[in-house]
Amino acid sequence: MTHLAYLDAGSGSLIVQAVVGGVAGAAVAAKLYWRRLVARFRRQPTDQG
Amino acid sequence: MVVSDTGVRVEPGSFRDPGNRVFHRHGEVFRGLDERSARDWRALAASDFFRDLLATGRVCGTEELLPTPVDLPWATVLRHERIPFVSHPYEWSYGMLRDAALLHLEILAAALAAGFTLKDGSAYNLQWRGATPVFIDVGSFEPARDGEPWAGYRQFCQTLLYPLLLQAHLGLDFQPWLRARIDGIEPEQMRRLFAGTRRLRAGVLTHVHLHGAMQARNAGASTTDVRAQLRAAGYTRELALATVRGLTKLVRRLDHRPADSHWVDYQRTCAYSVPDRQAKEQFVDRAVAATGGGLALDLGANDGRYARIAARHADHVVAVEQDPAVVDALYQALRDEGEQRILPLVMDLADPSPGGGWRGVERAAFADRSGADTVLALALVHHLALGRNVPLAEVLDQLVGLGTAGGTLVVEFVHPEDPMARRLLDNKPDGLFPDYRRDTFESLLAARGRLVRRVELPSGTRTLYQVALGG
Repeated sequence: MTHLAYLDAGSGSLIVQAVVGGVAGAAVAAKLYWRRLVARFRRQPTDQG
Repeated sequence: MVVSDTGVRVEPGSFRDPGNRVFHRHGEVFRGLDERSARDWRALAASDFFRDLLATGRVCGTEELLPTPVDLPWATVLRHERIPFVSHPYEWSYGMLRDAALLHLEILAAALAAGFTLKDGSAYNLQWRGATPVFIDVGSFEPARDGEPWAGYRQFCQTLLYPLLLQAHLGLDFQPWLRARIDGIEPEQMRRLFAGTRRLRAGVLTHVHLHGAMQARNAGASTTDVRAQLRAAGYTRELALATVRGLTKLVRRLDHRPADSHWVDYQRTCAYSVPDRQAKEQFVDRAVAATGGGLALDLGANDGRYARIAARHADHVVAVEQDPAVVDALYQALRDEGEQRILPLVMDLADPSPGGGWRGVERAAFADRSGADTVLALALVHHLALGRNVPLAEVLDQLVGLGTAGGTLVVEFVHPEDPMARRLLDNKPDGLFPDYRRDTFESLLAARGRLVRRVELPSGTRTLYQVALGG
């Protein structure tokens, strides 16, 4: 179940917390961006077709 | 302010989290919880870490009201300890804001380690018992969900970290920034202030620049999507704890040494003669003793000498002073003594805290919070009347307005021929204040209360008055 806090945490504010969480955190952020990149390339052929 | 037929007065500053609401009834403070918040509360109440926070006083005293009152629309009602005097972060000194931030992080770290988190990260989650910070937002605790960063991080930055960075790195007093913006300072504003080599100062590159850039780049992404992406990428509770540890280390490193201020040395440079000081101390001690307990306001408190005398008899003392550096010095001294009854606050009495936030009532104005049993205004009136041109009658109206009927006003009148009054008058055109006279002052005072005692100090240029307010 998706549960949202009453406060808008801010998307950028969530991601930056991974980056400031040391090497392991930066790796999480890198993985997130890598997955976003891969997802974009995967989506493109479908979008065109 | 809504007072219902059940005698409930809802706290105007408590509406942002619809799951719980603070209200007042019969002079006590309560918090109503909906079903979901009640479940979170039961889990919290059963946890060891929360019991420890309560036992050590780091979280305000809280107990469940049993049975739950049937005349109230809440699943569960909590009763809170009363905070002696509600203050706002823009009334705190640098050291106070820093200690408040550290307590907030300490509580978050304890919560995370026990499988809980805090829903928010606002400076308004904290209040003071004297010079000791206390976390008041019990409704903010909830069970943590694995793989999620802290939802309150942005708020923590905007209302606690950024104001500290402004003061520590740039030497700017943070209070006007917080007073003007209830949600604090935005990362984008901070980025403009921390351009060039300033971005290399501790904490700036990540918490300001990177934070701002990430916000801009992810403005179109929903927090639901980003939470899912972070979870999938392997974000863990350990990482959240590492972030809190990093923030704590950063805040501890931020040290601010104020520039020399005229007022820091005021008590020394404007030294009274020994007989004057002794007479004044005796007068104040006797006046506060006659009033007894309750709340005393020391306006223009400087180094807190008279606030400490007031604390011999009053239950709580609020020491108000306009110079942030002076308040910070007083705070450090009181904190080192473990003082729990004297609260130092930064405020210019010619520009007191107005009401703020939603409809101007979310953060109550200073005048609406005072209601003091004793008001001390020592060596203050000439600064307002001669230094700031406030008409003498209006100065007295403000002093009387900050007290309650049946309370006491202790006020010092510095005669126009006193060296300190002369110094202020020398900066103004001759004859600008024809009414600044002792006889005028006394007749204005008589119109506002009953004169109990009057003593002229041995120097002959200052007079102290004890006035019973409200007849």
